[in-house]
Amino acid sequence: MIVRSATTRRIENIATYAVALGFAAFCVLPLLWLLLTSLKPESDIITSEGVVYIPSKLILSNFVAIWQQTDFPVLFRNSLVTTMVTVALSLTAGTIAAYAFSREYFAGRQSMLLGLLLLRMFPAVVKIIPLFIIMRGLGLLDTRVGLGIAYTSFLLPLFIWLMKGFFDAIPRDLEDAARIDGCTRLGALWRIVLPVARNGIMATTIFIGIAAWNEFIFALILTTSAGSRTWPVGLQLMVGEFQLPWGMLAAGGVLSIIPVVILFAIVQRSMLHGLTEGATKG
Amino acid sequence: MSARGDLGWIGDTTRSGLDRFNPFVHLAKLSEGRFWVAALLTPAIVIIALIVVYPTIYGITLSFREMRLLRPDLGTGFVGLKHYIDMLQDQVFWWSLRNTAMWVVLSIALELALGMASALALNRSLPGLKLIGVIVLLPWFLPNVVAGNMWALMLDARLGVINDILVRIGVLDTFKAWFADPTSAFGAAVLVEAWHGFPFFTLFIMAALKGIPEEHYEAAAVDGASRFQVFRWITMPALKPVIVISVILHVITLVNSPDLLLILTKGGPGNATMVLSLYAFENAYSDFDFGYSAALSVVMLALLLLFAYLYVRASNLLANQ
Repeated sequence: MIVRSATTRRIENIATYAVALGFAAFCVLPLLWLLLTSLKPESDIITSEGVVYIPSKLILSNFVAIWQQTDFPVLFRNSLVTTMVTVALSLTAGTIAAYAFSREYFAGRQSMLLGLLLLRMFPAVVKIIPLFIIMRGLGLLDTRVGLGIAYTSFLLPLFIWLMKGFFDAIPRDLEDAARIDGCTRLGALWRIVLPVARNGIMATTIFIGIAAWNEFIFALILTTSAGSRTWPVGLQLMVGEFQLPWGMLAAGGVLSIIPVVILFAIVQRSMLHGLTEGATKG
Repeated sequence: MSARGDLGWIGDTTRSGLDRFNPFVHLAKLSEGRFWVAALLTPAIVIIALIVVYPTIYGITLSFREMRLLRPDLGTGFVGLKHYIDMLQDQVFWWSLRNTAMWVVLSIALELALGMASALALNRSLPGLKLIGVIVLLPWFLPNVVAGNMWALMLDARLGVINDILVRIGVLDTFKAWFADPTSAFGAAVLVEAWHGFPFFTLFIMAALKGIPEEHYEAAAVDGASRFQVFRWITMPALKPVIVISVILHVITLVNSPDLLLILTKGGPGNATMVLSLYAFENAYSDFDFGYSAALSVVMLALLLLFAYLYVRASNLLANQ
């Protein structure tokens, strides 16, 4: 029977919405609680009569306090610079490498691609310790550039993999036509392929950027002073060692994830497509 | 300008005097030569060789050397298998190994179940589900630091909203200190990891579901297949490759990342939530015992390689039956 009865279909639809809304609530309610906490006065967070669900008033002073009384602006700037370094390195080196893997068949191609995948298996610590020693030797320890380079060690291979998927989806005919029209290979790449791959490049870059912005373990080991510390490390120190009020910490958390949420919303369609491309086609 | 010239400006062979100073002209000429592929790959290869391959080899050799920043008197000499032999005697290592296995198995089971349920629901074409499909992926993009501390606040023994709700609906008598008791600390950490990680499976399973041709379902309907039969014989076989790949990728992440447990429990209480990655991290970060930490990492790597090999083999065997 292709057509099921209307009652069965209605029950199925209701069940589908129940499950979907349940998942939506599971994912969003913790975030809303974080947002609510950041807008509550401290007297509504630590109370004598249990948890307060409807605050006596909504305030923005937690946001003002975390921005003015802590070095949060510095942490943000450090994270931004570190992320930029990682993105710049991955974008320039990764885009052309991904293009070569997608279009050219050269000796060692398969084993290099497999090697990129194997790199994922290496525990962070096994790379962080040598990077710590190397960077200390080069004077790059505890610098934003050094940390950005360290992030590139795991984000560049990822960038190449994702970007290769986007290039694979672009028909070769486009370049062939350009070549026939007299384009050089570089001309075809620069004038034809890159503009067509624009969405993919943007999605991959933002994905890498979010990963660098969020990174915690490398930053914890490779930065030691406030001059290069990134916001995840700084925020964790405020929770653990400085014991700042919860309202301020929540405000810091909300501020830090705003860029992530906005960028994710902008490119989610092509980003999600690119992330799953390799796995579903392979 | 002719159409030819318009498309080919970078490689235009009619050279004006200024072209000598245009780097694109030289690059374009290079791109016609035999070093084109090498030129494309060189920057990435150099970067990866310098900051991935070299440090990794260095890290593996470190596991055979003594390197304790707090004990410079010990030197940095070659000690052979000392760290690996020490490991066999190390109670915390065995405890971490057991916890790692539990951490991975419980998290994967829960996340795969949540991912499957959400993907199957969200894959239906009903109004509004697309938006929910995007919302559900949000936790995966959140930083561990925010996800971890947000849940730590919600599970707090004094101000936690989850305690409050559980007391109000009568599940608990009083507020519970979730992270003070070994079992509940482990359970709470798995819950937070599941919240943070399940969208990864949702994403992949949803993409695979979209790839199943509609005709397969229609054919099954014509043949009078039941719901369960359709799922068993059409949906599952199509999902299997994606599930295998996403499980491998996520096991790697779970084994290698100490972030969430470092933020939530620091391995405590006692060593109840100590996993290998966290133990290796603590050895490097708190004790500056780089040699032993590297040895622990090498063991993790070996276990992951063994797992990936066995798992891929097992799933291929099943596929051939």
